[in-house]
Amino acid sequence: MGASAPRPLPIRFMSIKLETTGQNPTMHDYLSDNKCTWCDGCGDYGIWTAVKRALVELGLAPWQVLLCYDVGCHGNGSDKIGGYRFHGLHGRVLPFAAGASLANRYVPVMAFGGDGASFSEGIGHLVHSIRSNYPVTFVLHNNANYGLTTGQASSLTWQDQKMNTAPNGMPEHTLNSMDFVFSLQPTFVARGFSGNIPQMVEIFKAAIKHRGFAYVDILQECPTYNKFATHDYLLARCYQVENHDASDFKKARELAVDTSEKIATGILYQNEEIPDFYERLVPRQGKMTQLVDEVQIQDVGGLMKAFI
Amino acid sequence: MTRISLKVTGAQGQGVNSVGELCAKGLKRAGYCVFGYREYNSVIKGGHSSYQLDVSSEQVRSSEELVDILVCFNHHGLEQNVLEVKDGGIILHQSPDWEFPTDIRKTLEKRNVSVVCLPTDAFLKQLKAPSILGNILITSVVWTLIDCDQETLREMVQEQFGHKGEKLVTLNFATIDLAQKWAKKEGIRAMWKGKLPVADTKWSKQLLLTGSEAMGLGIVHAGCRLYAGYPMTPSSPLLTYIADIQNETGMAIKQAEDEITAIQFVSGAMHMGTRAMTGTSGGGFDLMTETISMNGMIENPCVVLLAQRPGPATGLPTWTGQGDLMLAIHSGHGEFARCVISVSDSDDAFTLMNDAFNIAEEYQTPVIVMTDKHIAEGIYTQQPYGSEIRDGTSAHPFLGAVIRRGRLITKPAELKKLTSAYRYDPASKDGISPRWLPGSEAATYVAQGDEHRADGSVDESSKNAIEQMEKRMKKLEAMKEKLSEPTVSGYFASEQRHLSNSEKLEDLIEILIVGWGSSKGVIEDVLADERFHGKVAYLHYTYLWPFKTERLKTLIMKAKKVVLIEGNVTAQLGMLIRQETGVDIADKILKYDGRPFFYNELLQAITSRL
Repeated sequence: MGASAPRPLPIRFMSIKLETTGQNPTMHDYLSDNKCTWCDGCGDYGIWTAVKRALVELGLAPWQVLLCYDVGCHGNGSDKIGGYRFHGLHGRVLPFAAGASLANRYVPVMAFGGDGASFSEGIGHLVHSIRSNYPVTFVLHNNANYGLTTGQASSLTWQDQKMNTAPNGMPEHTLNSMDFVFSLQPTFVARGFSGNIPQMVEIFKAAIKHRGFAYVDILQECPTYNKFATHDYLLARCYQVENHDASDFKKARELAVDTSEKIATGILYQNEEIPDFYERLVPRQGKMTQLVDEVQIQDVGGLMKAFI
Repeated sequence: MTRISLKVTGAQGQGVNSVGELCAKGLKRAGYCVFGYREYNSVIKGGHSSYQLDVSSEQVRSSEELVDILVCFNHHGLEQNVLEVKDGGIILHQSPDWEFPTDIRKTLEKRNVSVVCLPTDAFLKQLKAPSILGNILITSVVWTLIDCDQETLREMVQEQFGHKGEKLVTLNFATIDLAQKWAKKEGIRAMWKGKLPVADTKWSKQLLLTGSEAMGLGIVHAGCRLYAGYPMTPSSPLLTYIADIQNETGMAIKQAEDEITAIQFVSGAMHMGTRAMTGTSGGGFDLMTETISMNGMIENPCVVLLAQRPGPATGLPTWTGQGDLMLAIHSGHGEFARCVISVSDSDDAFTLMNDAFNIAEEYQTPVIVMTDKHIAEGIYTQQPYGSEIRDGTSAHPFLGAVIRRGRLITKPAELKKLTSAYRYDPASKDGISPRWLPGSEAATYVAQGDEHRADGSVDESSKNAIEQMEKRMKKLEAMKEKLSEPTVSGYFASEQRHLSNSEKLEDLIEILIVGWGSSKGVIEDVLADERFHGKVAYLHYTYLWPFKTERLKTLIMKAKKVVLIEGNVTAQLGMLIRQETGVDIADKILKYDGRPFFYNELLQAITSRL
């Protein structure tokens, strides 16, 4: 068992390669005329840049991808980048992205969500997305608070931090997100830091190529509301894992969960032996067409026989 | 119309449904139109349940309150349903030591109702047969009672158990023989004073299916390739059926972790460009409404089935009602265009599915398809869908279902011409702008839940907010123009069941009935009574939002009396009519006890108004 075990490339990645026009996309293709509205020093700038870079390096033109945004500061980037994009409801981005990914496997689907939405209102979707192993790349914009609604505590905010609506400090204990995620038997877990763009590019590329659901936790500074895990704090603690066997689930979990001294970043765990959700659908076995290709009147003559 | 009814009662899990289904199928094959109605409680085992069949050689789509034949699996039926038997009817039970209280016994005698006990346990012991064979035993006795061909019963046994080996089939046949012998010896047939009308073979080759199965076939037929749902009665039978046939249809089926997931899943799949659908009931629909609003905003087609049951809260989970019309029309926050349509029987349960997808794609907006438990679990005798295509004979209304996808752009040359700002272009006359799919080699856009300008970029300016709101709302007007007016039915000079337009009704109408949804079946059955010919017309609303008023206004002018019939307490269609026309229909027949309108009940109510 391991990432290096030979197996066919996932269909969606293979087909992207076949589909590309030969003209290599550039960062310019992903340019938007809309001005960014994030705060100075916001981690979203770094993530935004790395996403574009990763797509370009994979040879994916904007028309070939679907980028799905939850609601939060990161979601305000939905119109600051090229590509087919969707900006929906708070907490609900994952099932939308999952449904989209099943309808056309030629189009890689990325979903972006904040820690507020993903670990409170939408936490059920996260559980079942990992469990279902949808062919979706999920990027967690983890700034440990609700930024867009002006700095309330999320379940990933440190306990006792004084936040908007919690002037006496957040009473609940902090949810250990990585322990939680590993308890769900994920097939891909990576962690990055918004200050390290080259590393994020590599992580995103691997995540998009991953067979099933890729969980990518990006620790990002929130210069306006997060006074505890600051840019300097993260810069001092984050390190790239070296000589780490990403197929070692136990070791990966330990590295991911323990952030008391140092914070391990990079691809922590990957298992490509597990089929993604679509691959497990019996009726889709051997089908050469995509769900989007099959919208036509279907003859129900055979099915009606059961009712005579 | 000559009709008889047969009711099987017993504990849930005792075989009531098996016997009901077997009788229904057998009667249909013998040349009868059958309408099946099930009552049960929200428990798995033990609750009192019933399966009623109304049978005629003419079309029947309603249930009577009193039955000709009552079959009781246990003594609960003898307690609870005993007075639901017509004069001259028969009660067949299997509780050997049962004694009715004196007053009940006297009533039964007065009504000339026969009571027969079938010694099921003794017979099964004699046959060394497991208790499940009791179902066949009792069915066979019923068969004798209604003079049906025993060969049909044997055929069905062979079909159902043939694959399980000869031994079981032989045992079933032996059971049938024993039951018949006993029934003859006891003179069972003569105990029931009624009889079945003469059979009509036209029913034999028809389908016998539930409204849910009809909708499932319609969904498959419409090219829907993904269905996601969360279990909730009465939408679950559709989820079950469509999941059961997945290996034949090749569809992707998702049992979601909640209703929000189901509708988001479907929205994503529709956005990507396939046809996808979800179904739910009241509480689940409440959870979906935020996403319905989202689809209104991003102009994403989506189709949601709302299978009604009486609320509020958990309400009466296994019963029927029409209390969610206003919920559907007003679901979701903010103002946006949506379409609400309602299934009324097994005909449109099939046809409306493709219609819903066509409307959703043509107007790029949510479509809510309403139904209720009475349809979802009602059993209909139905002409095969699209049979005119298959055998080239009948003039059935399902000719040529066509997929219409509106302004969906897929041709490379057209895609090349697009700019991002075409997607939500407010300049379009009817508010409908081009739609193209992720993965198309074209300019890209954002499907944007925030107020946005033409390319989906966020724009909170006053000018843009007005332009885009008006663009989206224009679709409602465009839709209203295209949707069909309500249909009129009744027996007038032309003797047509369905009149295509109100102009044919030149004379004054004594009574105009107005309604929607599942009550259509019973209303039309009642109108078949000769007393109402040339006097009573029924105006049936299938398309409920946007609301068409022209035909209604014309007919109201021609009618001496107008009566509203609805399965809810607030007369929601009446509210809608008042809102859209200013007309208040004061005479209302409303029902909100979880039961459908019964045939006799409406027959009486309409007669009293003549």
